Amino acid sequence: MSHLTRRQAEDRPDSARMVTILVRLREALQTAKLSLELPDAEAARAARAGMLDQLDDYVVPRLIQIDAPLLTVVGGSTGAGKSTLVNSLVGERVTEPGVLRPTTRSPVLVHNPQDADWFDKARILPDLERTSRSSADPGALQLVASPAIPPGLAVLDAPDIDSVEEQNRLLAAQLLAAADLWLFVTSAARYADQVPWDFLKQAADRSAAVAIVLDRTPPDAVEEVSGHLARMLISRGLKDSPLFVVPESDVDENGLLSTDKVRDIRAWLSSLAADAEARTAVVRQTLEGAIRTISRRSYQVADALTTQQEVVDRLRRESDEAYDKAMADIDRASADGTLLRGEVLSRWQEFVGTGELLKTLESKVSWLRDRVTSAVRGQPQQARKVTVAVESGLETLIVEHAEAAAERCDAAWRAVTAGKVLLDAERTDLSRASRDFRARTQRTIRDWQQGVLDMVRTEGADKRTTARFLAYGVNGLAVALMIVVFATTGGVTGGEVGIAGGSAVLGQKLLEAVFGDQAVRRLAENARKDLRRRVEALLREEEQRFLALLDAQGIDPRSADRVRDAARAVDDLRFSSRIV
Amino acid sequence: MTSLLEGAKRLVTRSGDIGARVGGLDAAVGAARARLDDEVVDRAQEVVQRATERLRLSADHTVVALAGATGSGKSSTFNALTGLDLASVGVRRPTTSWTTACTWGNEAAPEILEWLGIPPRHQVLRDSMLDGNRAARDLDGLVLLDLPDHDSTEVAHHLEADRLVRLADLLVWVLDPQKYADALIHEKYLRPMAAHRDVMLVVVNHIDEVAADRREGMLADVRRLLDADGLAGVPVLATSARTGEGIEQLRKAIARRVADKAAARQRLGGEISAAAEEMAKVSGDAKPPVLAERDAAELNDAVADAAGVPLVVEAVHRATTLRARRATGWPLTSWLTRLRPDPLKRLHLDLSRSDRDLVAAARSSIPEATQVQRARTESAVREMSDKLSAGLTRPWAAAFRRASVSRIGDLNDALDRAVGGTDLGASGTPLWCRLVRAVQWVLLLAALVGAVWLGALAVMGYLRMPEPGTPDVVGVPLPTLLLLGGVLAGVLLALLSRALIAVGARARARKAEQRLRNAVARVSHELVVQPLQVEIDAYRTTTDGLRTARR
Repeated sequence: MSHLTRRQAEDRPDSARMVTILVRLREALQTAKLSLELPDAEAARAARAGMLDQLDDYVVPRLIQIDAPLLTVVGGSTGAGKSTLVNSLVGERVTEPGVLRPTTRSPVLVHNPQDADWFDKARILPDLERTSRSSADPGALQLVASPAIPPGLAVLDAPDIDSVEEQNRLLAAQLLAAADLWLFVTSAARYADQVPWDFLKQAADRSAAVAIVLDRTPPDAVEEVSGHLARMLISRGLKDSPLFVVPESDVDENGLLSTDKVRDIRAWLSSLAADAEARTAVVRQTLEGAIRTISRRSYQVADALTTQQEVVDRLRRESDEAYDKAMADIDRASADGTLLRGEVLSRWQEFVGTGELLKTLESKVSWLRDRVTSAVRGQPQQARKVTVAVESGLETLIVEHAEAAAERCDAAWRAVTAGKVLLDAERTDLSRASRDFRARTQRTIRDWQQGVLDMVRTEGADKRTTARFLAYGVNGLAVALMIVVFATTGGVTGGEVGIAGGSAVLGQKLLEAVFGDQAVRRLAENARKDLRRRVEALLREEEQRFLALLDAQGIDPRSADRVRDAARAVDDLRFSSRIV
Repeated sequence: MTSLLEGAKRLVTRSGDIGARVGGLDAAVGAARARLDDEVVDRAQEVVQRATERLRLSADHTVVALAGATGSGKSSTFNALTGLDLASVGVRRPTTSWTTACTWGNEAAPEILEWLGIPPRHQVLRDSMLDGNRAARDLDGLVLLDLPDHDSTEVAHHLEADRLVRLADLLVWVLDPQKYADALIHEKYLRPMAAHRDVMLVVVNHIDEVAADRREGMLADVRRLLDADGLAGVPVLATSARTGEGIEQLRKAIARRVADKAAARQRLGGEISAAAEEMAKVSGDAKPPVLAERDAAELNDAVADAAGVPLVVEAVHRATTLRARRATGWPLTSWLTRLRPDPLKRLHLDLSRSDRDLVAAARSSIPEATQVQRARTESAVREMSDKLSAGLTRPWAAAFRRASVSRIGDLNDALDRAVGGTDLGASGTPLWCRLVRAVQWVLLLAALVGAVWLGALAVMGYLRMPEPGTPDVVGVPLPTLLLLGGVLAGVLLALLSRALIAVGARARARKAEQRLRNAVARVSHELVVQPLQVEIDAYRTTTDGLRTARR
């Protein structure tokens, strides 16, 4: 190690600060969730995973140990002859080339024996197990020490970038992202393929140092193909990349190309290894490019996070709207007196006497009161009937509106792809009210009725002994209060006043006679509020089924800003000082 | 669409089995439109369209496409097969930018080539005369296409290749030793097209570049990858366009397919199966539900309840009772009952015929459909659609529900109109009541006469005037008999009538109920059952069509 002048990060404060900021960015990216299926989500997820890998595998380790050997990754298409090339460069058979595609095996890293401890797990590519033997495990990295490689240089043979083995492709992308220098191998049959060019475009975008090897070229095609390839490189922004041509030729019994075929490449690599200045230049170019790309792509991820949050907000708003409408509808229907028509009305009329009598009552309420008193006293079971009628009316109303709200919400969510995906993934069909909703509604209404009863009982505590109170009974008064509640907003108009309004007026008079009008207004208001509160809770619980799906996605509204802030900090430092 | 249907009809007569399958898929597409996911239906429709078009064109020609990656030797193989130097060959990638077509036989196939979108300058007619006697005319009817690549940096090439891959009858995938394991060809083409394995050939070209002892292993590896793609059974041929190795076998393999003229149908059959399979996956294959009489009756009951039928019936009962009692009661007491209102009048139902129509048209005011009643109707409707769609997949269940509630807004109005417009048969008093009424008046008169008579007697007695003789009837003086008998008989008659009225009112109420229920049933049939029936029919058509298409 003596020949290396080790400059650690502590000696370079800017570099140390950059590491700190990058770790913060990494943290922000790591915790960000992109779980909704949006058009840009897949790309953003891939970008995020790529950046995390690159930060762990390359940028952070590289910043900390700027003097580590230059890592040259040999990448390229399946069948382009990467393994043969690596073996020929090293001069011995370190990796196994094959005619079968794709060749699945661990990537191989060849380094000078002196440089061995640069490549342990703690320093670079932390998620790959180190082995010393060749294996088929793509999660392992085989280390080979060879004196044929000059100190200060390491060569890594990466898997194919385009084979049917998805694992190979992912690993290749990860390794190329961790390279100081790309040695990109292509062949005469391959050089116009789209997949490798996508990789090269990435390299050009982040100004990674790239050298191209045109391998397996028939000697008679060398001129035409290399000329065309060179033009393609120029037009795609890689004009500074050296281009080496290795003609198609037979291999010797060890599977190696003859030395003169790879002499140029080897000489170029050796000179690079020997010249510390040039090496640093390569490292700086790639590292700065990587940091620049990471900060730029972080903004894209942050935008994607913002979109995710917007969609979450939108879906939340949709479900709120659906259930708010249900709440408003129930509210209106239970307040405008419509509940008082139909069954509730006839039960109430039976309760206070005969329907026919009612018509004449409005004008002679005081006379009536006595009639009512006797009616109430005479038929205690009638109070119970009104309670049941109120219960069944309210129940139908609430259940139906909850059904409609679930349907509306489901339809609104399905209009958004992300929402549709969420709903389809859910096992139960959320477009219906939940299974036990009717039962819960019944319980809620009964609870409310019990509440009204208690209210009347409390209110009447000091009047318990008065004759009137005794005459009507707690039940009778509670029923009257319920009837009053359903007509408090006075939405009843026209011909209905005679029937529904009349009934409510009667109930009101009855209550006022016992409690006084101030108290009646307060009681009705409280009972109404109580009903509202209970129904609201019931509906919110229903809505929660939808919201739970969103909550399970774990999307944090602050994550976009965290990523953006960290990326901005990286940019600031990048512009203000030289890192490497 | 009409041309499509026409085409489909012609197919049935022309192409037998495959025509029926296209027809089945077409029917399924038509019925599933707007009910299943548009994407799936669109894809199936595209298949129908393509199949219809292809079947309309020459059945004697077989379109064979050479497809593959850049540099794998499609053009060299094309040239080797044609024996002509038609397609440009080179080391520069990508070499071929357009599709070249070569037709074997004496007859050109302009329609097919036009359908394939190959411009005339890229068409060649290879008259078999050229071959002289050298080769049999075994390739007559072949339309061979040399496609551009699908993997180079030129995106236009991918589009052209993709387009023609969909249209060709037989696909020859040209692989090469370097590229046979590329993700692109396996993931984008071979695996998704596994359904077409009967109309595929795989050629490993450039076999001369692989050392002889390694060829077998490599071919086995190709086989392994193809098997993994679901393409077991697809022939794999090793060729070298450069040395001519294997070209003869390829030629023979193609000639065999051309000769039996089945490739087009197999290809379309595969397409149809795949599309039908995909649709069946979202559509499900549960048995079509049947709308049972009993379910409809349950719905009608619920709707009738919500429409207030029981209330009206009760009112009819009460009104007839009241009116009949008024008519038959003892005149003095029945006058008192007039103070009570007639329930039917209160419901605005008991008007003269013409007036009633007027009111019904405007709005009947039987208890107006309240929120609660509306909610009750809706749950009945929902329940019905739930019951029907119980075993169906989600899209269909949703379609059923949509259909069932689609006209629910009209339902309550229609119910109002139906109930208001029904002749309840409750107006007027029965004849016997009127007779009884006359008798009652006679009895009352008799009683009055008796009373006056007795009164006169009493006055005369008071004035000590001689009492005139009163005739006796069975020992009772006539005036007394008239008074007491009149009153008693009147009360008795009233009581007797009451019993009869109870029976009669019940009958009338029953009749009114029957009429009302019929009216309600008509409404619910029109607005709920029928839309649901349409969905059931659509489901049946889809399922049957898909079954036919998959056969």
